[in-house]
Amino acid sequence: MLRKRIIFTLIYENGFFHQSRNFRLQRVGNIRWLERNYKFQSVAFSLDELIVLNASKEDKDMQKFAQTLKRLVDNVFIPIAAGGGIRSLEDAKTLFDNGADKIVLNSALFQDRELVKALTTKYGSQSVVASVDYKIVENKRMVFIEDGTLDTGKELQVYLKDLEGLNVGELYLNSIDQDGTGFGYDTNVVEELFTSLKAPLIIAGGAGNEKHLLEGLKIESVSAVATANLFNFMGDGLPNARKKILAEDINLASFVNKSL
Amino acid sequence: MKIVIVDYGMGNIHSITSALKYIGVQEVVVSHKSEDLQSADKLLLPGVGAFNQAMINIQKLELDTVLKNLVLIEKKPILGICLGMQLLCESSDEDGLHSGLGFIKGDVRKFDISPLSVPHVGFNQVKAPANSRLYTGLEELSDFYFTHSFRMQSGSPINAGICEYGQEFIASFELDNIAGTQFHPELSQTNGLKVLENFVKSF
Repeated sequence: MLRKRIIFTLIYENGFFHQSRNFRLQRVGNIRWLERNYKFQSVAFSLDELIVLNASKEDKDMQKFAQTLKRLVDNVFIPIAAGGGIRSLEDAKTLFDNGADKIVLNSALFQDRELVKALTTKYGSQSVVASVDYKIVENKRMVFIEDGTLDTGKELQVYLKDLEGLNVGELYLNSIDQDGTGFGYDTNVVEELFTSLKAPLIIAGGAGNEKHLLEGLKIESVSAVATANLFNFMGDGLPNARKKILAEDINLASFVNKSL
Repeated sequence: MKIVIVDYGMGNIHSITSALKYIGVQEVVVSHKSEDLQSADKLLLPGVGAFNQAMINIQKLELDTVLKNLVLIEKKPILGICLGMQLLCESSDEDGLHSGLGFIKGDVRKFDISPLSVPHVGFNQVKAPANSRLYTGLEELSDFYFTHSFRMQSGSPINAGICEYGQEFIASFELDNIAGTQFHPELSQTNGLKVLENFVKSF
């Protein structure tokens, strides 16, 4: 049976990893700090997938980000998706060459549909994750791009309809309002959305504990739950959360003990 | 132990290289030169992308002749992963019907499982065959990471691991010195590392 997934999203900005709250970033540490204090590589053994996003605002130095990515994913044996600031085929290639198995596109979905098509053609739709950030404005879920700074003026429902022709492999739906709050996912969004996108759905934004992950995983149409909460889920947080979720008989992969 | 990853210009070889080193393989070389392939204890055929393009690359580099000699005559162990496994088969119908290396009896065909979405992406369970070398030390049903739109079928006894996605398909095979996995062991956590370790130790 095809399994559901728990994904960790790491937010990178100018050489450091960050805790995000409503898309405002708080610096946590650089890669050495992550390796040392969070034992990142051992935490990764409790994950099904890792997403690494470059949220640098002014200069998204792709080479520097790629170098960090390469070091980060060494000895991490799960699929890695990376993105943030991909504006060309060359940007995507840089990430694929440095350990990414998939790429994550956000602003390009709105600003450069030709690039999205070129990427799905070249690398296959399964290699392209569509990331969509939304925020409630006057009671409507509006889609924002450019790291949540620019309102597209499109309602989520309409925006997703526009994505249908792009043949993306997965949809990563992130609530800016819930992001980093630890209050739980915007689960209503899943029920209220009518999308004919066949791509698997990943929900993100708001998970603060394993109950939230569980709540998301229990929704039939949700393929994966993502969290970027470094504080709550690193160290033993994530391994323990996974154990508890597996004990609830949720359809997750199980891995043999790490005794290699 | 020296493993040569056959480089024909397709696929992300970063993870597989680092996985082989992680499980303790002393020498991991990425190459398409026949003298390197010749000097390997074992070969690994990786790959992500289109079948036909892969075969064109392989023929251009004359790897088909080199591999045939090493694998079929000298019986050097080889593990094909994902597209690499498919290339070991006789044919694929991806973008028209194309011949593969033909080291194993089997054909690659597109999933026909509407309304389920294709590609088949994610962790899924594989049922290990009896007396398997690849799955030694794992449960009878173990999870591995897949990402593919075409799957292998075979009418021959090739000691196949079976996965189900809308229909049953061949997730792995192991016959004498030739093995293949449709899934990516290098992206399948400890389960995948175990399979790689088994290939290194038991083939």
